[in-house]
Amino acid sequence: MIDSDFLSELERIVGTDGLVRDESELLTYESDGLMSHRSRPAAAVLPETAEQVQAVVRLCHQRTVPFVARGQGTGLSGGALPHPEGVLIVMTRMNRVLDIDIPNQRITVEPGVINLEVTRQVASDGYYYAPDPSSQVICSIGGNLAENSGGAHCLKYGFTVHHVLGVEAVLPDGEMVHLGGAALDSPGLDLLGVVVGSEGTLAVVTKVTLRVLRRPQAVRTLLAAFDSTDAAGNAVSDVIAAGIIPAAIEMMDRTTIRAAEAAVQPGFPDAEAVLIVELDGSQSEVETRFKQIEAVCARNQAWGVQVAQDDAQRGRIWMGRKAAFAAMGRVSPNYYVQDGVIPRSTLPEVLRRIRALEQRSGLTIGNVFHAGDGNLHPLVCYDEAVEGQAELAEHVASEILSYCLDVGGSLTGEHGIGSDKACHMPKMFSADDLATMQLVRVAFDPDGICNPDKLFPTPRLCGEVPGPYRAHPAETAGLAARV
Amino acid sequence: MTTITSASPADAVADLNSRLDAPVARVAAHTDIIDGVLPRLVVEPATPAQVSQTLAWATERGRTVIVRGGGTKIGWGPTSSSIEVLLSMSELDGVEAHRHGDLTATVQAGTTLSALNAVLAEHRQWLALDPPDEDSATIGGIVATNDSGPRRHWHGAPRDLIIGMTLVRADGVIAHSGGIVVKNVAGYDLARLLTGSFGSLGVIVNATFKLAPLAEASRTVVVDFPGTDQCAPYVAGLVAQASMPTALELAAPPARMLVRFESVETVAEQQASHAVTIAGQHGGTAVVLTGDDETCAWRAHDARVFGADQGGTILKVVTMPAELSSTLARIGEEAQANQLDYAVTGRAGLGVLHVLLTGGAAARASIIMALRSRVPLGQGSVVVRRADAELKSLVGVWGPIGDGLPIMREVKRRFDPTGTLGPGRGPGGL
Ligand SMILES: Cc1cc2nc3c(=O)[nH]c(=O)nc-3n(C[C@H](O)[C@H](O)[C@H](O)COP(=O)(O)OP(=O)(O)OC[C@H]3O[C@@H](n4cnc5c(N)ncnc54)[C@H](O)[C@@H]3O)c2cc1C
Repeated sequence: MIDSDFLSELERIVGTDGLVRDESELLTYESDGLMSHRSRPAAAVLPETAEQVQAVVRLCHQRTVPFVARGQGTGLSGGALPHPEGVLIVMTRMNRVLDIDIPNQRITVEPGVINLEVTRQVASDGYYYAPDPSSQVICSIGGNLAENSGGAHCLKYGFTVHHVLGVEAVLPDGEMVHLGGAALDSPGLDLLGVVVGSEGTLAVVTKVTLRVLRRPQAVRTLLAAFDSTDAAGNAVSDVIAAGIIPAAIEMMDRTTIRAAEAAVQPGFPDAEAVLIVELDGSQSEVETRFKQIEAVCARNQAWGVQVAQDDAQRGRIWMGRKAAFAAMGRVSPNYYVQDGVIPRSTLPEVLRRIRALEQRSGLTIGNVFHAGDGNLHPLVCYDEAVEGQAELAEHVASEILSYCLDVGGSLTGEHGIGSDKACHMPKMFSADDLATMQLVRVAFDPDGICNPDKLFPTPRLCGEVPGPYRAHPAETAGLAARV
Repeated sequence: MTTITSASPADAVADLNSRLDAPVARVAAHTDIIDGVLPRLVVEPATPAQVSQTLAWATERGRTVIVRGGGTKIGWGPTSSSIEVLLSMSELDGVEAHRHGDLTATVQAGTTLSALNAVLAEHRQWLALDPPDEDSATIGGIVATNDSGPRRHWHGAPRDLIIGMTLVRADGVIAHSGGIVVKNVAGYDLARLLTGSFGSLGVIVNATFKLAPLAEASRTVVVDFPGTDQCAPYVAGLVAQASMPTALELAAPPARMLVRFESVETVAEQQASHAVTIAGQHGGTAVVLTGDDETCAWRAHDARVFGADQGGTILKVVTMPAELSSTLARIGEEAQANQLDYAVTGRAGLGVLHVLLTGGAAARASIIMALRSRVPLGQGSVVVRRADAELKSLVGVWGPIGDGLPIMREVKRRFDPTGTLGPGRGPGGL
């Protein structure tokens, strides 16, 4: 319980300036990027040091008070949704760059540092930080780490987990640990590998060592229009079949092209689909591969091909792509961003089902995807003012997730499960799978105070039976009982 | 829990076979000896269900289990004084699915790497791992030890390529993590947790990986330098020129580097000749190899430390990449001071080295201790990869783990409360 005594303890740790208890000020923190989920925390703290984080967590642990870490609050799955009886630990003041080590291609930062700032710090040396979520100008490294964020370029360069080498973190009992390290292959279990992507449910990260990469010698970006998403999808398949791993392959459909055009005028052709393909590497590699890509596009009847001639043109193409979410605001009063994954080769089949759903539901569905890795972002448009449309949109978005699971895909490729999709988890994982994940959870957080009610379905969130229960083969064989 | 360790191996085999859906348990033979210890019984399951039945039985009966893949790394980790159940995974083999359009594959844990890659090659793809012993090392063993080879430089280690896993817990429960898609953040990443866990948390029965296309052409630049001091500047020179080799290996003494380029023919050729020029600027003599010569050079490189006829102790020494020169110098000095013969190979760009030592046990122990004393926590490590029982007991396998050890122990305790799975053999002595 948070009482005045607890609040003065918090104040003693973070100072008057670092404690937010005023109801109206707390409003700022009510939700993250998933605005439909809101909850006001009992208190929010803005620590400036790892020691302060540790003291806050230790206090919460002593009193069994829940706490939730928050970065920049751009998450789209309600991962940073506050607990109404808990403390919100806002990490934004911990935004120092601690060490830049170019000879080792490392940088160590506090978790409140903004993603793009990492690249800015090393750019003059010819390096960059590879994971580039579309939100990179506003999201924090701590949030990226918790969500294992990806970006357009993760097809070739991997996700956050491939670029985090070590962390300092405060465990839910207040102990501070170091997982991984500046060097590779620290002996011991790879707990870093599971903390990355754990959505703030295992620890509060207070320091992060990242790997930075040498800027490639050459980059080439092409935009091509297609008369159908199928044709664009086939072009993607042909690129992969040719043994090429581009730095990025992104697809947008007519709805999102028009929205982007209305918002930022990137000069995209008015087509059923566009592909953005980017190659990077050595000059000779890029030139050779680029010819192959052009041939693939021609073979699939691409038209309106634009090849970026300089950084400005390249920037314009990417601006059109990265603005796609926000741009939907131009064509629809409200929209719901879905995030699902399919095996890339099932793209035409799943898109057809989405089109049919669009017609059946009467709601416009725009599509932007990281086509190279099968990560779909359907944008379900609706109007809040029309009664029942918000619920319908949510329903339609869930339906799309079921299409993803039908073809062996995933509930989320980058936005996370959070509070949004916790109740969907039993559709993807058996009770045994979830119970096994819980073993990790209880090892770190036996009291369940670290970002509770996220990621895992609970009866409180989802009702008594969270989703359809699938008996595991081992259970039917009488080998294993449900935990 | 009933403990019947006093029962004869034959009785235990009968007891277990009565619980299995096929009699895949047997009394151990001499070929099953590990580090001089004869297991009491051996189980060769052909299905995940049989793995589950075996583990459930072992946990209930209080027996300990050690997992063997191809047996190539079974001597890693601390020696056990007794082994009750040896779980041999070799029957659980085969490629379950190769989704070539998606660049992914699912494979059973007992499949050897070379068998898997032979299947994937039909569509010009491969699981981009090249650890030693690819003909006998199994996927389960490679994942459990997070083992990799030269081309880790570009492609990464198993932990970077794994996207899904089926595992069997000590209590027999079968669980899945991840899936068959390359991008997926649903749930905790248990596949990554189990990777490199040396079988301490569960038995891996299958794994799904992201694959890579096979390159059309390959060139390897072999550079000989007068001394190891020139190696690190050469690596820096390549990095500064944005050179993108798939392998960047070092071999010492004396001082050789192997730099591999894989792409289309013209590109590989061009990059190789560029690397030759840079080598010249750093005082090296270079040749470019391709075809059989290239294959032979890599085989010889691999054999320097891992060759079947090489006895001796193998250490894995990890350093910060920029400390490469000083680390090599230190290894050389310590070897000389302790009158040991040594050979080093490894990933020059990543700071991951393997050191083969031959000489007296006390001298080997002393070099390990000396090397460990010089690395600050988190900045490197010295782990014993292969050694006799005597050395392992003298210096321990892992070296310091740091303040993460208690939470690692707690994770182990939650997964395997009765200590069924290779107790003491996991990383950090879990
Ligand atoms: C317009 C837009 C575009 C986006 N595009 C992408 C994209 O391309 N790719 C992508 O992956 N995501 C994208 N996102 C989602 C979001 O930006 C990412 O998930 C991002 O990583 C969240 O960072 P944040 O700092 O805002 O974290 P928050 O939203 O504040 O928190 C996210 C999670 O991280 C946890 N957390 C935060 N800091 C810490 C810490 N120090 N220790 C432990 N846990 C912590 C929180 O508890 C929460 O669970 C987008 C969002 C928007 C609004």
